[in-house]
Amino acid sequence: MQKRITSILALLFLAGNVLAGGPQVSLHGQKQIGMGLIGTSLSLDASSAFYNPGALAFLNQKTYISFGISPLRSFAVYRTTQPSVYEARTNNPIGTPFYLYASTQLTKKLTIALAVNTPYGNSLKWDKNWAGRYEIQDLSLECITMQPTLSYKVNDWLGIGAGFVYAYGKVVLNKALPLGGTNGDGTLGIKGTTNTTGYNVGIKIKPTSKLEFGIDYRSKLSMTLKNATADFVVPASMSTSFPAGNTVNATLPLAANLDFGGSYWVDSKLMVGFSLNYVMWNVYDSLKFDFKTNTSQLPNVHSPREYKSQMIYRIGGQYILNNKITLRAGTYYDPSPCNPNYFTPETPSLNNTAFSCGLSYSPVKKVSIDLSFLYIQGTQKNLTFTPDNFSGTYKTRFYIPGIGVSINL
Amino acid sequence: MKFNIIILALAVLAFACKPMIDVPAPSAGTANFTTYVSLGNSLTSGYADGDLFRSGQLNSYPSMLATQFNFVGRAGDFKQPLMVDETGFGNRVKFTGMVAGVPTIVPYGAANPANFASIASAGPYYNMGVPGAKSYHLPAVGYGNPANGAGNYNPYFARFAVNPATSSILSDALALHPTFYSLWIGNNDVLLYAIDGGNGGADAITSLATFTASVTATVTALKAAGAKGVMANIPDISSLPFFNTVPYNPLYITDATQLAQLNAAYGNGALGISFTSGYNRLVIADPLAPMGMRQIKSTELVLLSLPTDSLKLKGWGTIKPVPAKYILDESELASIRTATTNFNASLATIATANNVPMIDMNAKLIQMKAGMVISGMKFNTSFISGGLFSLDGIHLTPRGYAIVANYFIDGINSFYNSTVPRVEISGFPGIVFP
Repeated sequence: MQKRITSILALLFLAGNVLAGGPQVSLHGQKQIGMGLIGTSLSLDASSAFYNPGALAFLNQKTYISFGISPLRSFAVYRTTQPSVYEARTNNPIGTPFYLYASTQLTKKLTIALAVNTPYGNSLKWDKNWAGRYEIQDLSLECITMQPTLSYKVNDWLGIGAGFVYAYGKVVLNKALPLGGTNGDGTLGIKGTTNTTGYNVGIKIKPTSKLEFGIDYRSKLSMTLKNATADFVVPASMSTSFPAGNTVNATLPLAANLDFGGSYWVDSKLMVGFSLNYVMWNVYDSLKFDFKTNTSQLPNVHSPREYKSQMIYRIGGQYILNNKITLRAGTYYDPSPCNPNYFTPETPSLNNTAFSCGLSYSPVKKVSIDLSFLYIQGTQKNLTFTPDNFSGTYKTRFYIPGIGVSINL
Repeated sequence: MKFNIIILALAVLAFACKPMIDVPAPSAGTANFTTYVSLGNSLTSGYADGDLFRSGQLNSYPSMLATQFNFVGRAGDFKQPLMVDETGFGNRVKFTGMVAGVPTIVPYGAANPANFASIASAGPYYNMGVPGAKSYHLPAVGYGNPANGAGNYNPYFARFAVNPATSSILSDALALHPTFYSLWIGNNDVLLYAIDGGNGGADAITSLATFTASVTATVTALKAAGAKGVMANIPDISSLPFFNTVPYNPLYITDATQLAQLNAAYGNGALGISFTSGYNRLVIADPLAPMGMRQIKSTELVLLSLPTDSLKLKGWGTIKPVPAKYILDESELASIRTATTNFNASLATIATANNVPMIDMNAKLIQMKAGMVISGMKFNTSFISGGLFSLDGIHLTPRGYAIVANYFIDGINSFYNSTVPRVEISGFPGIVFP
């Protein structure tokens, strides 16, 4: 048993690389994904531990377990600013955001829960020799959070909850240096891990049996890489300027989220809802690489990003067809947090429009198999990273099927 | 489970679709790129690192332009008079290391004799860039005729002149019936004089009248043959690393005894030559100065051809004057500037009169002096580190030629309302560090 748990955990860590609007991924429950990722006001299962700890207390069975995975296929295409014929495409590995939630009522009023999921991530792989290789060749940002959570039902219409967030992060980044040798360009590879903490607090209000509201705040996570390896490969004549065994410190702040959602049960079968997610990306002002050893050729790099905070608008709903099948659909608009003058191909986050659908099937009572499919299209736009004079037209697509299981006992 | 099947089908379908960028197709505008011919000198031929060799030719800007013109109607192979291999005529240099921040540049190796053989029968060739060509060489009959004897013909043109006795660069170009041409000529009319330290002789500055008449003859002949085209002007030599890498005061002397000896040798100021602790100006040969020597002025230029080890080993610049062929003095520089200005004015007039766009390479290179970042690559006009100029300090790296190709494309597009796609500069090598 011990061995099995260890191997499951190991698998989970391997799986945690993903990509979407900014480096934020919102694939935390197949039911929510099916409805355009609304979830702040809902109490469907233990996934509320992430979406709104205040909503956990409204779950009416004793124990809930749900887990799932969303194999994510993402594509970005780049074309040099017109007139041009040069085009490059990413060959991103399939991302696998996952979630695992469990909750149980300690008393009628008090529920505890644990959430393990991947709220941020980026997995991007351009061709090694592509035109933007001096910006980025490939990047993998993994972030797995574990959140023990408490939820308290104050009364029939009010629930509050809070969770402590522990986050583990891993960053691998490779880029080329415009310093050509007989073996081609020089390269820089950065690799490091980090961890940090945060919190998640939420309130749910249910003024009538048909109407629900929720508000949730998840704090930012400051992922600070300390003494990450910085491997330079440069021509021999330049090697003194890029000493071996160098390390680098870098901070990548991951945005705080303030979510507000509402949902309405039109009748016992049909529910419609919305969610407004305010993502506070303004914390991502610049990407700073501070090398342990600097030389005249190797100064610290403070590269502007100047992200903006953005509101994501989501609507969705579900229809309970019969006691075995529930259907879902939703859509959302997720504007790019990137500054158009500091848009880099390391996180090609465009204005995204998304459509989703989903289905739950209960083969037996208390067990539901949840399927979803999410399609995201990033609107084509010409953008520039001004400091490096790197510009071009970008377009992105995401295809994300998902499967999960939820059980209540 | 109908819905499951639908979702599965959607998923499979979706995984197969990749995003496509919507952009307009490239257009030729009012130009006709069917047959493109390039005329010019070494810069047009693809010359770099002191010689013309195969990979340099493959990275010539006309070759890049021809590739881009393929998207707007150019037809057929763009055949260049390629050298057999990388050795060229034996003048190529290579970069082998850095010693205290100074690049070590040594001969690449002996020429392959096959590089001198005529390849005219395998033509015709569309890149008519001929290293060494001046304005008046374009219409010069027999410019590639070995029968004229060594020194009286151009061995580069001799390799591919269709009929060495009767061919001129221009007549061979016209025989290709170009619909579009590029013409970048005139550099050597002043540059060869400057490279030789202003010694004159065979490389005297071309007279303005000859220059104007030769370029006019070339452009009007191409126009009469129905070709449209593009021209480029002459960069001022001050933009080239060959002329601005070695400082006028490279002699760092702090030893008091040595300074006293040097000053005593020059009569303690009697000749107007003096040395002080720190960086000292070179002593140079000048027949007009007392004793035929003086110290260089800060406004004068030392050429990259100066064998810098002679400063140390032979006492050049201190106990012996640096020969005049390594120096451009004020009057030589004045002649060069006047000629460059006049030639560029003449080129502009000819271009306007013949309705041809003119690429102001002079202005572009002056901009480059301050530095430019393109797609994360930093360029300026510094030797080696600038990335733009090759190891000879005069000709460009492939990346430098790609930048030039884009200047041509931008000028063509704005004049002919075309949308010739720009060259992807990062696709070409810059300086290759050892």
